[in-house]
Amino acid sequence: MAKQYALDDDSVVVVIGSGAGGGTVANELAQKGIDVVCLEAGSRLTLADVENNPPLMDARMGWHDKRIGAYLWVCKTVGGTTMRWSAVTPRLQEHEFRALTTYGQIDAGTSLIDWPVTLDELAPYYDIAESKMGVSGTHGIPPSEETNNFKVLKVGAKLAGYKQITSARMAINPVARDGRPDCQQISFCNAGCAIGAKWSTLYTEIPKAERTGHFELRANSMAVRINHDKTRKVTGVVYRDQSGELHEQKARAVCVAGNVAETSRILLNSDSALFPQGLANSSGQVGRNYMRHTFGVAIAVMPKPVNMYRGARQTGILFDEQGHDPGRGFAGGYQLQSHGFDPLTTSNLIGGWGRGLTVFTDNYTNLASLFITGEDPPEADNRISLHPTERDDNGLPVPVIEYRNHANTDTMRDHAIAASRRIYESLGATQFWGGDAPVGCHNMGVARMSVDPKDGVTNRWGQAHDVPNLFVSDGSVFSSSGAGNPTLTIVALAIRQADHIAERMSQKML
Amino acid sequence: MTDTGLSRRRFILTAIAAYSVVTVPFRWLPGTSAVADTAVKPDLVRLTRLLFPHSGLASDVYADVAETLFDSFVAHPESAQLLDMADTALDAQVDGDWMDVDEDRQVAALKGIENEAFFAAILAALRGAFYNHPKVWAYLHYPGSSKEHGGYKHRGFDDINWLPEVD
Repeated sequence: MAKQYALDDDSVVVVIGSGAGGGTVANELAQKGIDVVCLEAGSRLTLADVENNPPLMDARMGWHDKRIGAYLWVCKTVGGTTMRWSAVTPRLQEHEFRALTTYGQIDAGTSLIDWPVTLDELAPYYDIAESKMGVSGTHGIPPSEETNNFKVLKVGAKLAGYKQITSARMAINPVARDGRPDCQQISFCNAGCAIGAKWSTLYTEIPKAERTGHFELRANSMAVRINHDKTRKVTGVVYRDQSGELHEQKARAVCVAGNVAETSRILLNSDSALFPQGLANSSGQVGRNYMRHTFGVAIAVMPKPVNMYRGARQTGILFDEQGHDPGRGFAGGYQLQSHGFDPLTTSNLIGGWGRGLTVFTDNYTNLASLFITGEDPPEADNRISLHPTERDDNGLPVPVIEYRNHANTDTMRDHAIAASRRIYESLGATQFWGGDAPVGCHNMGVARMSVDPKDGVTNRWGQAHDVPNLFVSDGSVFSSSGAGNPTLTIVALAIRQADHIAERMSQKML
Repeated sequence: MTDTGLSRRRFILTAIAAYSVVTVPFRWLPGTSAVADTAVKPDLVRLTRLLFPHSGLASDVYADVAETLFDSFVAHPESAQLLDMADTALDAQVDGDWMDVDEDRQVAALKGIENEAFFAAILAALRGAFYNHPKVWAYLHYPGSSKEHGGYKHRGFDDINWLPEVD
């Protein structure tokens, strides 16, 4: 039964955000019998609200509060961005946890560090996360079914000499599992999965947490500030309800998981005499080292129909280029992933107008396309801060998101686009477009884990260096980006963090 | 609160909403009482055709997209002003009435203004209206929502048959 907690109940853990990180850490805590109040800024949809129309669903569940600067493709709804994600779930590679050691400090602008966590340490949690999410091709779950668009990538890649390509590592049920059905290949998973075959916390972690009797979800509750006492412990979270009224939920501990802009904003907005630069920000690192990935998209006109609108939006990964090979002229590696696009998104990506655009859109059914994701080195000046005067409709300071691609990222993208061109041209592509895709869907680094408190915001558990009962539970804690999609790692870290919180509580240290 | 010296910072705008519908930022231009003249409407139809030239697409689709956009633009003085700015700028490019010159000169005039903010705003709005239009989808053979048809699990998600055999 879903519980209700009193505002002055200071025995609860307050989790801010209900997406991959927040939804997971909340459920894991509730499963252990720890009482949790989860504050979610957005509203709670049901599967019946999900329509197979990405632009319409963007209006319904996307985050549209005012922001300045680089665009972030995130959601304001129960389930967070797991509602629109493509569910690609690779693990980070061993060397990616040792980014500084492996790559060296690339130049004066980069701020690489190693993770205070190793792959060996995280591996058991990856296992739990994959099993929980139902990742295809792992733990006895079959691989994903191969869509047309994936087959073009697979065959083209093999003709181009690549070998490591798989239609697996998708958190979309290839067979019915865990009370959810198998994928019906509805397409454009970014509209939300209308049948729940794709893992999203809205219909997995959240209802599971509710069934424990140790969890309350408060939707339409926008966290605005975290309060603390004079011993530097956090004591509660102030939030704004749907009617605009402010409340404070008292807390024993707080987990922040609002995706990078909201996580930065709530910490920076919780400044005080004790924390003049913002909560947990004695290092000045909150909001800094914002990473996305080396993003790119390649779109090709193939000689015959592909119909990329059919089937799961993303289906598989080419791994050959994900290693670190300095001979290519850049640090880190990248993956190529099959990725279908609807007509409007295709047009937005290619951009421009006239025949240079319509030579592609005129051949919509013959288009094949892929998504590039690769390592993006952290830079202190890629950062999220608060605008000094601008306020949004909630009266909150507007986040300013500054991001530029590093030269390493541009060089890597060029390499990935050349590889993509070879792949599609091996099958007779007649037109090819490759370019940047400034989509802001993988967001990391603004409260990164570090050994030295000067280098980051949180320790190896995602626990704030400055505040013992404050945790960060989303992609903000990534010490470096790695090449692959972040969500599996976010979930693995959140499960591990919940174990740590429970252990500290049992030792009366929280 | 953090210190914010915006002018000192690298400020890179990558706010291209590639994955979402681009909405017209009605509030970013200074407000005026300008209201686009209905005489601008035929120009908008022509503009839509030149921006998205699909040779087999029926004229009434371009007219429909332009009409819809015109109506939504004139509902707000700020966006109505965008249309007037485009109209004036295009006429200036050709030293006359842009509608009266041949297609090559019309396209050249568009290239002459394509870096203007008002052009970008109109292009984004037209793009959203055009590539989401059911008749454009039909022309592109994109069937739209598949949920009500049970997805493509049994309707060809893996029916490609022209790829060569590889190991």
